Amino acid sequence: MARWVAVATARPWAPLWLRRAAAVAGAIYLLAIWLDAAGSRLVDSLLPLPLRFFTQVAELFPKAATDAIEWRVRGWRCDAGQFDELDVRPLFPIRRDDKENQFARAMFFYHRERPVLEALDAYLVAAQNRAHPDQRIGGVMLLSLRVPIPPIGEPGPRQHWMPIDEYPASVARKYWYTTAPLLRQDRCQGAP
Amino acid sequence: MSDRRLRDWLTEPQPIERLALLRIAIPLSVLGFLSSRLLHADHWLGPAGFHVPDLGGDWRQPLYVAPMSAGAAWAVATAIAVSGLCLSAGLATQPAAATFALLVGYTTLADRLEAFTVNKLAPVLTLALFLAPSGARYGVDAWWRRKRDSHSPRPTEVEGGVIRFFQLFLCIMYSASGIAKARGDWRTHQVLWTHLHDEYQTQIAWLIMGALPGWLWWALQWLVLVFEVGAPLWFALPRTRSLALIIGLGMHMMIGLMFGPVVWFALLMGSILYACYGPLPVLANGAARARERGNRQDARDARG
Repeated sequence: MARWVAVATARPWAPLWLRRAAAVAGAIYLLAIWLDAAGSRLVDSLLPLPLRFFTQVAELFPKAATDAIEWRVRGWRCDAGQFDELDVRPLFPIRRDDKENQFARAMFFYHRERPVLEALDAYLVAAQNRAHPDQRIGGVMLLSLRVPIPPIGEPGPRQHWMPIDEYPASVARKYWYTTAPLLRQDRCQGAP
Repeated sequence: MSDRRLRDWLTEPQPIERLALLRIAIPLSVLGFLSSRLLHADHWLGPAGFHVPDLGGDWRQPLYVAPMSAGAAWAVATAIAVSGLCLSAGLATQPAAATFALLVGYTTLADRLEAFTVNKLAPVLTLALFLAPSGARYGVDAWWRRKRDSHSPRPTEVEGGVIRFFQLFLCIMYSASGIAKARGDWRTHQVLWTHLHDEYQTQIAWLIMGALPGWLWWALQWLVLVFEVGAPLWFALPRTRSLALIIGLGMHMMIGLMFGPVVWFALLMGSILYACYGPLPVLANGAARARERGNRQDARDARG
């Protein structure tokens, strides 16, 4: 036998004017999301950047990837006087093994922005020399690897991190930044 | 649709279980996403990590926020975790929602590198929960209220506005995303396949990629495109709503299984989808029966 339950509507705590204002703001927010993804520039001209930023959420994977991009670092070893690969994952512990870590994100957004690359250079050198004072570096090369995507239906080997030198020559290397030789020399000669 | 019909639709009472489910699921999904950042707060917000310098109005940097001290970073991370858990549990619901929204919004602006769809959506979704009576049922606040006054009625419904906001949000989000895909490569290139070949690739993704025939990737891609572009229609029409719900949940499940860290986005959207359009047969049966009883009483009154 069914048990009857009395209807009771939860009373809103917010005053009517606030709920109405929130409804208008909510409608503008939803419209801004839609317009931004539809390619309209109207939102750009109306909302300041810090607010617009929160409406740029719907353009999810619109383009096909031509290659899988890996961002890598070669460090200038003060002891050997040459560039060798530096595994920077321990220096960026937030999601260190995937492309959501700060190094991959910084390179993704700013690989053509010299001020950011110089800041990355300074951070990497300081962090590496602090963590491994016996393996000091004086500078870095920041590069990308373009790993070809196999044809559809042929997934290839499971994706995993491997050193640059283990990639075949068909994987293109592109160098975006190299620390100037004089700066490398100064850092290597500086106090540890 | 006339103004009156629109207003009636917007304010039509909804089962309170929908709101309770949103209140439980949204902060947990966001906290799941943020967990790897919260555990390294000194790198995320403090001086230990890398921070993009002030680029003076660069479009990729919506606001420059200087890194905070390590102590402040850990305090912010702790406050985010505590307020998110309190909101989910319905404990001090309104203060918790306001705190969570503000702090997640701040941290999203503070570190552009760690800003993704989940934490860009979180402040607005949580503000919606803040403005609604989200702690009225199924939480510590509600339990405490009943304990103090056992005669106080248990709410079974909530004014429809907040649920309508979340329902519209889903339709707009899917539709906007579908339009962006249609304007991009989804009609002409195989996109799904190409995005499964980087560090997002999971073991399950790799196994599925080896098992599915090539033509099925195109079928899945077109299914997603048609679902997303037409979402407002599929969810507006009662006949297609159930199928749209199944396809949407299936899509989010596949994203969660195959795209590594995107699992938190899948959980967030999937739970909002179920809370907004799911049948909620067990949780909502009380409200439905009460409405039915009201209708019968109205009919008896009309006859008498």
